[in-house]
Amino acid sequence: MSDEPGRMTKYGIIATLALALVIPFLTDSMFILNLLVLMLIFIIFASAWNLLAYSGQGSLGHAAFFGIGAYASTLIAAKSGIPPFITIFFGAAVAAFIGILIGLTCVRLKEWFLAMVTFGFAIIVQTLTVSVLAPVTGGWDGIASPRLLSPSIPGYQLIEYYAILAITIASIAAIWYIMKSRVGLAFLAIRENELEARAAGIDPVRYRLLAFALSAYLAGVAGALQIHHIGYITPELYGVDNSFWPITYVILGGLGTLAGPVVGTIVLTIIWEGLKATGITFGRYVIIGIILILAIIFLPRGLVSLPEEVRAWMKRWRKAEPGMDTIEGD
Amino acid sequence: MDDPGVLLQIVFWGLYAGCIYILLATGLNLIFGVMKVVNFAHGEFLMIGAYITATIFFLTGINPYLILILSMLALIGIGAVVERLCFRPILGTGKLNEIFLSIGLIYIFQNGAAMLWGDSWQSIKSPYDGITVPVGSLNVPFDYFLIMVFTAVILCGLFLFLTKTTIGMQMRATSQNRKGAMLVGIDVERIDVISFGLGCALAAAAGTLWVVSGQVFNPYMGSIPAVKAFAIIILGGLGSIPGAIIGGLLMGLAENGAAYFLGGIWKDAISFVILILVLIVRPTGLFGEKGE
Repeated sequence: MSDEPGRMTKYGIIATLALALVIPFLTDSMFILNLLVLMLIFIIFASAWNLLAYSGQGSLGHAAFFGIGAYASTLIAAKSGIPPFITIFFGAAVAAFIGILIGLTCVRLKEWFLAMVTFGFAIIVQTLTVSVLAPVTGGWDGIASPRLLSPSIPGYQLIEYYAILAITIASIAAIWYIMKSRVGLAFLAIRENELEARAAGIDPVRYRLLAFALSAYLAGVAGALQIHHIGYITPELYGVDNSFWPITYVILGGLGTLAGPVVGTIVLTIIWEGLKATGITFGRYVIIGIILILAIIFLPRGLVSLPEEVRAWMKRWRKAEPGMDTIEGD
Repeated sequence: MDDPGVLLQIVFWGLYAGCIYILLATGLNLIFGVMKVVNFAHGEFLMIGAYITATIFFLTGINPYLILILSMLALIGIGAVVERLCFRPILGTGKLNEIFLSIGLIYIFQNGAAMLWGDSWQSIKSPYDGITVPVGSLNVPFDYFLIMVFTAVILCGLFLFLTKTTIGMQMRATSQNRKGAMLVGIDVERIDVISFGLGCALAAAAGTLWVVSGQVFNPYMGSIPAVKAFAIIILGGLGSIPGAIIGGLLMGLAENGAAYFLGGIWKDAISFVILILVLIVRPTGLFGEKGE
């Protein structure tokens, strides 16, 4: 009984992986393949945000790291001719470096001060991109970004899909490893009670900075992948939308869990695209907002806790039944 | 190096923008003081207030300064509903949850407004459009003076409400010590609803004054001013209304100065540069010592 959820999780992972591997063969629509690629990228992005939240730091400006990774990778690839598959990791390293710098400001701040600083930071970076840095970034107009794979290669979309799938799996595996390691335990300890963590010999500042660096790195990878996939980059990448999406995905899926960002991204993407098919425009956001608020109030641990919650309801319901009977029997 | 006219212009623009920020920041402070809730969606109430004023103005053509009252009353109602349905269930579950919930509210209000009113930029004309008052070498629009007067009147009214009425005193008591307030028989949940409603009404006043001065507005106008208002209350001290007033004026001046000296593109970013610089030096804000 006790290992049942564990086994279910294992089957769930295997089923998801199998589906991810065969799905390109189930459809020949380029639209769906493209959608899947963007979904995978957002799974990385949401997981990156989630890792930072795991250490108790909720960022409202993760679009900054997403965008910095994308711009850095684009510029390095365009200037040096190194293939984007390699520059992605350089770009992400730049994002991680900036992440440490902004982390230095944030480590001593309370939750919502931190939210403010990260939100403001995204706006500052956007402003710099279109003003001082405009000669290299192209300002508001943006610049072309080298493609991951040249469209002249036959079946390049499929190769791209599998490459990005591999990076996504590697990212999630890395996050899983971090969460299970002593570092993850330290993150958890700091999140739950900083004073006690300090008493246990954990240096909160060091671990918070580490969380910032790791999270910014992965967000940078996601941003660079997206931009090399699309082939064009504009400062809109730093927009509030890009900061809010990963939060929405993670909250709906399950904050602080490994599966949460994956489940949340998949479910919300399906809902989003489904609503798009019905021709709703602004209403889509209203519905997402309502779903988000309902989830926060009624399902605070996200969709990943749904099976558990349902089981608990069933148990309560079954317990209530015989009680009702005896009352009637009397 | 510059002629005094330019500096004077920066000062007047700064004061005028500062008034809008003061109203927003005071509303946030009121809500934060009583409920200790961080409502990132506060700017959305400014936007709704602006649209309500504009809609009534388009329909009836009454002087928009008079519609201010209607808009504020409407927002008291909307604010009360939002508090009751969204914030009360999650009260005390952590600051992060409140921020996430605000994101949901931002989605709903921005796009709900876009569904109702469309998402294009709009503007209304003040009945005093074109009337200016000469100050030195500068012609200051009459509306700017009216906005400053209205802001002052609203703030004085709020001060009297908080110090002279029973509900106002109950609000201050709840803000100082929630448990103590409950012990002496104050219905703190009712006080929460009233505070949230009043905070939203102040946002509506800010929105109304913003559009009356001829500024363009659309459903997404609220986010940036709201975050700036947060920066102001962090700088000016949480729950401190004088801090919000001084902070609001300084922010208005800093922003318009930056727009002039660094270029208009820096107008939004400068407030966050200031915020980050201050927080590096003092992680609790300029005057924040105790507080949350």
